[in-house]
Amino acid sequence: MRRPTLTALVVIIGLLLLADTLVVNAALSQLAGVAVDAAILVAAGAALAGVAALGVRRVQDLWRQRGDPIGAVFVIAGMAAMLAAGLRPGSAGTTDPAVQWLVAALLVPIGATLFGLLFVTTLGAARRALATRTREGILLVAGALVTTVLLLPLSGSAGAGLADAATWSLAFPIGAVFRGLLIGIALLSAVYAARVLLGIRAADE
Amino acid sequence: MNDHSRALTRAAPILLIIGLAIAWQAPDVGWLRLSDAESKRAELMTSALDALPDQPRVLIGYDPDLGTYAEIRQTARALLADLLARDGRLAFVSLTAEGRALASAELARLGRGEANPTRLLDVGFIPGAEAGLVDLTRDIRAGQLDDGAFTREVELEGIGAFDAIVVIGGNDLGPRSWVEQVMPRIGDVPLLSVTPIVLLPEVEPYLAGEQLAAGLTTPRDGAAYRESLELGNLSRLVESTEPRPLPLLLGMLVAVAVLGQALGARML
Repeated sequence: MRRPTLTALVVIIGLLLLADTLVVNAALSQLAGVAVDAAILVAAGAALAGVAALGVRRVQDLWRQRGDPIGAVFVIAGMAAMLAAGLRPGSAGTTDPAVQWLVAALLVPIGATLFGLLFVTTLGAARRALATRTREGILLVAGALVTTVLLLPLSGSAGAGLADAATWSLAFPIGAVFRGLLIGIALLSAVYAARVLLGIRAADE
Repeated sequence: MNDHSRALTRAAPILLIIGLAIAWQAPDVGWLRLSDAESKRAELMTSALDALPDQPRVLIGYDPDLGTYAEIRQTARALLADLLARDGRLAFVSLTAEGRALASAELARLGRGEANPTRLLDVGFIPGAEAGLVDLTRDIRAGQLDDGAFTREVELEGIGAFDAIVVIGGNDLGPRSWVEQVMPRIGDVPLLSVTPIVLLPEVEPYLAGEQLAAGLTTPRDGAAYRESLELGNLSRLVESTEPRPLPLLLGMLVAVAVLGQALGARML
């Protein structure tokens, strides 16, 4: 379905931001600032809505006795604790000591621990990827294997040799593929942006 | 799979943790070394910091992620201590919620380490991802209630107040976003970065193209940079122990063995 208003809005804001980057003009800068501030407000609103949706979903899980009740209780209790610490009367908000304690003493260590467990779960995932007998899985695991060997913390000539090999692999095979991907993505993004700006859409859209 | 191998598979994570704990307590061995004595990246970082003016004002884009923060944490802390040892004034900003949480924890840690509070400024969290970065180049609202000179300078001059930008990366909004969104909109301000190795392929072209003035991108670079520092009494702001290479080696060898065994079983 065509949405001419949305396309027109994208065209106007895109040209406005482009002109603001190229031309020094106070009025233009203020207009572009309004557009950027609007984008920030929308993003902030979307983030808050996402958090609220998570809370509502967990409350519903508890109310209807479905899903993981213990996980739901932890999520709701965590959100309540953070809200109480940051919004209670007299609180300094995000810089309040209670908020900082919750973040530094609970959130960061617990998060880091969970990610630390990824070492074990990633190895399990790699084994399962090989179990599918796909070429992609084998390539992925072989790449991980070679990269891990290249990063071994050895000293002396062995370590220097591994570091040189890692530098070479980064500069040539990995670098070439990754840069190719980046250039391809950039070209596609530019083409897509140009199509949106010019209001060109595929026949099935 | 028989009962014996099934029991071994179940016990493997616990055995690994026990092995890592033993390796952590074992004495260092000479043939293991984390730092690269001739790290050009570390030298480049030191040169870039040496080229900054006295008492540099530095904007710290603090957006690592929890998953890879352990890899760069010591280097990031060492860099912050190095900047403070150069009488730098640091303003922290984050564009991701995770980065904000870690920045908040680091600011609290610097406070506990009795870093000079007049040299630290918390700009806070800016939503909007790339739009937030663009907004940062237009206006900075320090959001702090105190009337410090650094706060006033930043609010008055905006991003023009800074002599350098340091990006502690790992999240979506890393050095690449800063190069794309911020660098074209500001003058000739050096952009430095500390990133986990997973971002190396992404950061490498910007380092080669000198859009990033310097970057510490691997554990070897980070260790070499940390070894080169002389922080004096500000060494209290860095971690007292370096990562032990033996448990790292053990974990990596386990990974190599598991991956190699699985790969060999499939290929043969």
